[in-house]
Amino acid sequence: MDTLGHILNGFNVALMPINLWYTFLGCFMGTIIGILPGIGPAAGIGLLIPITFGMDPTSALIMMAGIYYGAMYGGSTTSILINTPGEASSVMTALDGYQMAKKGRAGAALAVSAIGSFLAGTFGIVALTMLAVPLAAVALKFGPAEYFCLMLFALAAVSSLTGKSAAKGIMSTVLGLMVATIGIDLQSGQPRYTMGVPELQDGVGFLVVVVGMFAIGEVLSNLEEHIKGKAEIIRLSGKLWLTREEWRRSVMPIIRGGVIGFFKGVLPGAGATIATMMSYMVEKRISKTPEKFGTGMIEGVAGPEAANNAATCGAMVPLLTLGIPGSGATAVLMGAFIMYGIQPGPLLFEKRPDLVWGLVDSMYIGNIMLLILNLPLIGIFVRILYIPTGILLSLILAISAIGVYSINGNALELQMALMFGIVGYVFRKIDIPLAPMVLALVLGGIMEQSFRQAMTISGADPRVFVGSGICITLLVLAVITVLLPVLLPRLRAMKEGPEDLDS
Amino acid sequence: MLIDRIIGAAAMLLAAVYLYATSQIPTLEIGDPLGPKAFPMLLGIALIAAAILLFIETLKADADEGEKAPRGSMRHWWLIGGVTGWTALYFGLFDRAGYLIATVMYLLPMMAVFNPGKWVANVLTTVLWAVGSYVLFVKILGVVLPVGLLGF
Repeated sequence: MDTLGHILNGFNVALMPINLWYTFLGCFMGTIIGILPGIGPAAGIGLLIPITFGMDPTSALIMMAGIYYGAMYGGSTTSILINTPGEASSVMTALDGYQMAKKGRAGAALAVSAIGSFLAGTFGIVALTMLAVPLAAVALKFGPAEYFCLMLFALAAVSSLTGKSAAKGIMSTVLGLMVATIGIDLQSGQPRYTMGVPELQDGVGFLVVVVGMFAIGEVLSNLEEHIKGKAEIIRLSGKLWLTREEWRRSVMPIIRGGVIGFFKGVLPGAGATIATMMSYMVEKRISKTPEKFGTGMIEGVAGPEAANNAATCGAMVPLLTLGIPGSGATAVLMGAFIMYGIQPGPLLFEKRPDLVWGLVDSMYIGNIMLLILNLPLIGIFVRILYIPTGILLSLILAISAIGVYSINGNALELQMALMFGIVGYVFRKIDIPLAPMVLALVLGGIMEQSFRQAMTISGADPRVFVGSGICITLLVLAVITVLLPVLLPRLRAMKEGPEDLDS
Repeated sequence: MLIDRIIGAAAMLLAAVYLYATSQIPTLEIGDPLGPKAFPMLLGIALIAAAILLFIETLKADADEGEKAPRGSMRHWWLIGGVTGWTALYFGLFDRAGYLIATVMYLLPMMAVFNPGKWVANVLTTVLWAVGSYVLFVKILGVVLPVGLLGF
């Protein structure tokens, strides 16, 4: 079957009643997870993986992806109504969205984020569909050395772009790779760093780390915020629709946000959060009244909201075509793939086109479902915000226990998850980003494998890593991404003198 | 900033421990020119490099005169410590007491502290949650959770 045939056949898979149901379930839970404080898409997917073990992998992945992009829709709700972004990618939405809500335009803010998310999300899936095939074809030519360099580039980009300090990002990455080395070495059969604990022989469970760092750690941070004080919830008022004037002002920001978001999503490390910041800055820069941003400008809601949804589609590109996720949430998604015994990457397009295209095509349907869930039905979801935070956070800890215990039925893993929860809490306090560590943990095993394969092929000659144009390009890119944040401000300062970089 | 120096030092220490542990891995080199040590060795070195990079960043930040943000009061620390200890106890008794009993015992005090004064809502949520989640996960989704003391 040709590619177009595969793409169309994907709709047959996606439109199967059972898969429609799981798409809906994923989008529904994604919206809730996006609204809930203390739980993001990464933790949400991680907590739900064990429940899906009996399911068909295609259905399970359709649901997981639904949670991922659904959370982007839900995240805007809390930003607008209580000025508390559920996810980092909704921070920009809060700037003008909350101000709009204060002025009684909460309905318009919610409507424009839902519509913008839908339009940009759909654009993102079209772009994903078109970009996936050629990229997978290129990736098929990659040998172990090329793969190693590619992973190095992805990790370098995530390390230097996710946090404030490149050094802390690199630390987080290296720690993740170190955790990945725990357990029996598959090539030599030697146990490494197990300290005689039998549970560690299979390595540290991926979900133990994800649930620990993203769910338990996040709850600990939130509990601390909770006792400091509580945000006021703004009641939804007014019609959930835009005036003609608001609509006119939102169209271009949605288009620009969608394009920025998609391409930022494709690049490793940049991801949804940076895409929203860029979109916001672009809108502010080209606006005739930049000084009004932060006081309830609809452009400041439409652009970033479009950007974060397009970014989630963009982020699916490297995950599916290369098998290399570029962010924390896609890393967890990749973990889910691996747990179902599926290795995402170029070969998957040849071996399981039904799965790949069924998943991609389900996203078109999911976006329509999300538009309905988030526009006419948003009033129902908003009620979630009235659940007392103290109850909610306690329950998330109990769910974490179920999630971790259900993997292996091992109570020791619960304690390990708690340990990673403390690590996650401390890392948040001291500004060490979590995403690089989780990404490194997912890639660690494959990365070491390709490193050793490449070295075996070359007879332990490290020059294999500079042996092809692709390798050299990727290594140069990796070095540039690490040095860029250090060098860029200096270059700018040399050229223009001191400049204020307010965002 | 002092905290960044401590992070750097801790990373150095961790790298040293990791490298020592790596050197203790026994190797039988058959058909694998690198063996199980080479990649971890690189990781240890990378962590040291990151720590050095962080020291350089701190030097620069000190030169730029970083602001000294006052940290929150100690109240948060014992609170987080308390929650952590309580959760550790919950996880420790998860197997023996069983999901239902352990969860109810865990959630009631948690909610009493973090959602104070609303006894009816807290007790009702706890019991409904424990029973509801047990039925959902065990009976419907087929997840195995410990029965413990209840033994039915």
